[in-house]
Amino acid sequence: MENAMVSLSNELAKLVERFQPDVVAVHARPHYPSSGVLWRPDIIVTADHTVRREEDIQVTLSDGRTVDAALVGRDPGSDVAALRVKDLGAPIAHPTTEARGSDPVKTGELALVLGRSPDSGPNAGLGIISAVSGPWRTWRGGRLDHYIRLDATLFPNSSGGMVVDCRGQILGIATSALSRIAGLAIPASSVNRVMDGLLDKGYVARGYFGIGVQPVAVPEALREKLSLPNQSGVMVVSIEPGGPADRAGVVLGDIVVGLGDTSLEGIEDLQSFSDSGAIGKPVKARLIRAGAAAEVMITVGERPAR
Amino acid sequence: MSFTGFGEVAERLRRSTVQVASGRRGLGSGIVVKSDGFIATNAHVVGPVVAPGVDNPGLSVQLPDGSSFPGRLEARNTRRDLALLRIPALNLTPATLGDSDDLRVGELVMAVGNPLGFMGAVTTGIVHAIGRRPGLGPTKWIQAEVQLAPGNSGGPLADARGNVVGMNTMVAEGLGLAVPSNAVARLLAGELQQASLGVVVRGVPVRTRGAERLGLAVLDVATGGAAEFASLRAGDILVGIEGRDLRSLDDLEGALEGNQERVLRVQFVRGDPNKIRSVAIRLHCPEVAVA
Repeated sequence: MENAMVSLSNELAKLVERFQPDVVAVHARPHYPSSGVLWRPDIIVTADHTVRREEDIQVTLSDGRTVDAALVGRDPGSDVAALRVKDLGAPIAHPTTEARGSDPVKTGELALVLGRSPDSGPNAGLGIISAVSGPWRTWRGGRLDHYIRLDATLFPNSSGGMVVDCRGQILGIATSALSRIAGLAIPASSVNRVMDGLLDKGYVARGYFGIGVQPVAVPEALREKLSLPNQSGVMVVSIEPGGPADRAGVVLGDIVVGLGDTSLEGIEDLQSFSDSGAIGKPVKARLIRAGAAAEVMITVGERPAR
Repeated sequence: MSFTGFGEVAERLRRSTVQVASGRRGLGSGIVVKSDGFIATNAHVVGPVVAPGVDNPGLSVQLPDGSSFPGRLEARNTRRDLALLRIPALNLTPATLGDSDDLRVGELVMAVGNPLGFMGAVTTGIVHAIGRRPGLGPTKWIQAEVQLAPGNSGGPLADARGNVVGMNTMVAEGLGLAVPSNAVARLLAGELQQASLGVVVRGVPVRTRGAERLGLAVLDVATGGAAEFASLRAGDILVGIEGRDLRSLDDLEGALEGNQERVLRVQFVRGDPNKIRSVAIRLHCPEVAVA
């Protein structure tokens, strides 16, 4: 009996068969292995929160072999970690992992979450994309190109697995650690961006001013007097001695209202700027100092490792 | 949207799904495997004290049309949690058994059963994985993303064509675990036969001759079963089989597998833990081969 259910069932099983050779099990924490995806030649991506040790990491491949993997780098902000396995070769099912560019992911699309368990081999979860939005900052501080919420059940070993749409395009990497209410897909484009940083430096470099700030409202009178577009800005409440802002002459009590050509309304604007690859470049900071407008040139530093 | 879909497949499957009641053990589900009264279900649904070929007053099977029949245990295998029952009914609608070795991860599946006594409930999802589960030994399970509840046990898990690929048996971390249908087919072919000792046991630590070891305490002895004929009593503690120490319940279940009539020597203690006794138990295996 051929029917729509049979064809859907076949298509789903074929997608699993096609992509499962590039999905591995990752052994980097006690008790529960997680999953990972062969993303570039010799490079496996997994969910950073499932990497609980930095040495003695193994991966179980689709042929059943368990081999050693080295941690290349990790970015807790976006929950992406990269592992290297010698002589593993290029991904089989997806020679290049391009983001689904021109055609945005839509709410309601079917998505498969593919993982691997050392006990039973490949595994698959099915659900729909239950919400999509534009750029989004995770509670861990990383910036993702999209918020893609999954309604598939994520099991303990699903994190780090591959999220595939029904046309066979890779949407991203599954993680259960970025939302309390649902699993998310870390978008493929974000994985690619983070990966570039990890392969280059072992971490994702973030811009650094060396200031602690507090958001404050800009009084109406001051807005008019200085003809500012800002409703609010951020007041400098601490300064790292010798840091970029200190060297530029920023003092406690300064209110930052703009960076470069953009106005700065709150902490998120400051964080977005810190992500933007401005490291080493001078940027003009517009301030309110003692009720008057002021400008300083700050050379953006790189956030030190903690 | 109109197509031959879940509804029709579910309706066909419902006609081959029954409810199995076994007195104290509560309710489960069963699969009609042959039109002249053969029902496959889980061994844990049937309960532990019935012996094959012996009428068990508590065991009854209710068909989808509401009619009810007494059931008799024909064969079982507790290692694979399978049982075969026969009811005095004809012209039943048997389910079609598929080849579970052909099932692939990602395929759509549907479970039908009587969760919490609600008859004929349907749930669908995909096959999440096929293989071992950590902590559940070396046996192969079909692990499906279907919502099961107590009462689904023994019922069919079918593929998109409606062919039965597994028997829903338990839930682990939200996944429905099903015994592959090829194991059910082997039981029907008489290949997975397991003799019944006719005892209910529970693992206990025993200290015999200064050494701590596993014992299986006999909690109950079935009337008319092999253990009763061999004069085993409740309170006896089984400690060995054919002279080898028991290390798990699986050792006992494994020793009972096979379809020949034979004698099994079982070591046990009664009262004095330092005195190990031995008893010869004649095992019967009724011929079962459902063509």
